[in-house]
Amino acid sequence: MRTALILLLLLALASVVGSLVPQWPNTPDRVLRYLEDHPFWGEAFERAGLFDVFGSWWFVLLTVLLFVSLVACLIPRTRSFVRAVRARPLHAREVDSFRHYAERRVAGTPEDAAGAAAVLLRRRFWRTARAGTQVAAEKGVLREGGSLLFHWAFLLILIGVIVGKGTGFSGFAVIVEGDTWVDARANYDGQLRAGRFFDGEFTGIGVRLRSFESDFRRSGQPMDFVSRVDLLDPRGDLIRRQDIRVNHPAQLEGLRIFQSSFGWAPVIETAREADVLTSAPVVTDLTPAPEGVPAFAMPWRGFVKLPSADGATPDVAVSFQLYPDSEAFLTSLATGEPVAMLRENEPFLRFTVWRGTLTDLATNRLDTSLMRRTATGIVGLGQTASLRTGERLAPAESPTGLTVSFPELRRYTVLQVAEDRGVPIVLLAAILILVGLLPALYDSRRKLWIRAEPDGEGSVLKIGGFALQRKPQFEEEFERLVEAAARAAGGPATPAGSEKEQVGSR
Amino acid sequence: MSLSDWALVAEDAFNLAVWAYVAGMVLYFAYLAFRREPLWWLGRIAAWVGLLANVVAIVARGLAAERVPWGNMYEYSTMLAALVVGVYLIWVEGRQKQKALGGFALMFAVLTMAVAATFFFVPVGPLVPALNSYWIKIHVVAAIAGSSLFAIGGIATILYLIKDSIERRQLGRLASQQPPPIMGGAIDLDDPLDLDRDVDGPGGAQTGTETEQARSGIFPSAATLDRVAYRVIAFAFPIWTFAVIAGAIWAQEAWGRYWGWDPKETWSFITWVIFAGYLHARATNGWKGRRAAVIAVVGFVALLITYYAVNLWIVGLHSYAK
Repeated sequence: MRTALILLLLLALASVVGSLVPQWPNTPDRVLRYLEDHPFWGEAFERAGLFDVFGSWWFVLLTVLLFVSLVACLIPRTRSFVRAVRARPLHAREVDSFRHYAERRVAGTPEDAAGAAAVLLRRRFWRTARAGTQVAAEKGVLREGGSLLFHWAFLLILIGVIVGKGTGFSGFAVIVEGDTWVDARANYDGQLRAGRFFDGEFTGIGVRLRSFESDFRRSGQPMDFVSRVDLLDPRGDLIRRQDIRVNHPAQLEGLRIFQSSFGWAPVIETAREADVLTSAPVVTDLTPAPEGVPAFAMPWRGFVKLPSADGATPDVAVSFQLYPDSEAFLTSLATGEPVAMLRENEPFLRFTVWRGTLTDLATNRLDTSLMRRTATGIVGLGQTASLRTGERLAPAESPTGLTVSFPELRRYTVLQVAEDRGVPIVLLAAILILVGLLPALYDSRRKLWIRAEPDGEGSVLKIGGFALQRKPQFEEEFERLVEAAARAAGGPATPAGSEKEQVGSR
Repeated sequence: MSLSDWALVAEDAFNLAVWAYVAGMVLYFAYLAFRREPLWWLGRIAAWVGLLANVVAIVARGLAAERVPWGNMYEYSTMLAALVVGVYLIWVEGRQKQKALGGFALMFAVLTMAVAATFFFVPVGPLVPALNSYWIKIHVVAAIAGSSLFAIGGIATILYLIKDSIERRQLGRLASQQPPPIMGGAIDLDDPLDLDRDVDGPGGAQTGTETEQARSGIFPSAATLDRVAYRVIAFAFPIWTFAVIAGAIWAQEAWGRYWGWDPKETWSFITWVIFAGYLHARATNGWKGRRAAVIAVVGFVALLITYYAVNLWIVGLHSYAK
């Protein structure tokens, strides 16, 4: 037990480190900042796995050792427990030498008295053994049984975690309003965290985002985020409509779909005279806010790439910043106090036009190192601007050269999609932990011996016993049992008050 | 009454509770110093008035916000103070008949509420979406109940360690002056902390406590303090276990995973491990008494870190509760 306890405390110590040092899985931006600010220690921490304590080899090793030691402890304990449960209670040579002892004169014969007492104890869930006029009884196996259940259940948790994480996966789906996302490997945004034994089969079910709504209080405190979706089967037929909110995930074919985050996706249309080049919603991300500025006071960033059609003319790219709420933005400008832009209110884009060579057509980044800035401008919702001059076009004006327009502002939602078959196992283990813990802490092992000896017409019941735990409570229980046993054995033989009657503890 | 009226009631009741607790704390300590029964009675009245005001503050806050009144650290702290005082008045003083610990329990409540008012105050408002779940009723209530009981256990353990060293010093002095002392009941040189033996003395705990009090004044003996601490912690442990499990179930609903080593999760696990170690130590020969008590104090510190530090200094998913 000592080894297991020490390993458990070491695990707790490792967890302390894991909570103080920023962790890759939880706060990657803070890890990056730490690496920048402390190059030496950052490097050392990285090597020691301190930025990912809970996934590091030594944490896994500690866990494995803990469970090995736990099981090594539990197997002999379980064996002797099974033996103890099977064994019949042993008779005592002397009844009156125990901590609690009482004598009662009763009317029945010794045989009857002992039999009645044994029946009474069995009815009260004591395990009893009777030999003639002697009864030995025990109660409280649940203390050790509960303790064993509690400890074994941790092994079940480990199994649940391994099964769940090993065969499951977790990833993020980014869906723009009106679009349908299909559960397939290629459609996950960023890294897909899949277990080692994940079968690689995706369900092919579809999620169509009808709309995303967010609701904030005036103070900027969020009230509600809801993705209103249609869940589609692999053929594209509607299974059902559902609202996915924080705390209210959707469940479908073993997948669970959670509301994770959200953002704006302006539809950007680029055209050369009458030819539309691109027209699609662009998923934007929030510019990181400096210290003390509300996150949503910052504009959202995005870009559109226009590779050259013939190779002769330069590539063009348009990077932009979206201000979803121009009123809030103007208030920020006027007061100097940044105000969060939480709802759509005359949105506009500030854009920058780049010309040169696009180096990274395949990736999800814009590299402007081989490009130069040729124009900047502003375009509001429903407006069109020239990419040559950056100036907005009048409504009736017919465009010349490249133009950009902003016909529509949509929202996108980020849903976390996860499959974890271990959850029911872990839940069962958690329930067993609680079920085992209560008797392990509060049940007590008690032993009782009764001997009936002839005494005149009737007999005298000699009752001795003790408890290993909760001794004050046993004192009362013992008295009650003595009275009940005397009553069951035919009641007092002579009027009460005989010098032999005594209840006491020593 | 309108919602803003309720908010005002909540703030007034909060302030009244703090002042009543301060008065009660002073009176309880005065009782310890001067040993005058009326002081204890006055302290007790002040504590009950404070508890009543504290409960009114919680209820009014809930009515003002139109939701359960435990949605942020300010509200958790108000609940924690009420529970610590409630457990003290009803269980420690009512059932265990320990009159001398009131000052310490009230001191904890005053500090909790002062920290809440200074660092955590937020005006009445609705819940953030992540908290808007029926699990808030289960997880948070269990977490606060477990915390308040652990806190009482922690306070009793600290007092036990102090009292125990005083008793040892007295015992050492006695032993050097006299032939081996024969003490009635409580103190046994071989195994000074075999509590069961203490409890099992003739007539059980009650008489034992009285004879101790006759000998060493109104302050409970080390053995009694240790027994109170153990019982509270053994009671708190399953509640805390349940709170962690309920939190995991809620995390599965809200964040898509039942365990993610978020700082609050991590520290509640650390607290759990330390108190589990304490319970094991109590069951192991040679680890009873002072060694086990030190583990409980470490657990108490871990509890405070779980409760405060994680929200104040460490960034994590529970930070909204600031």
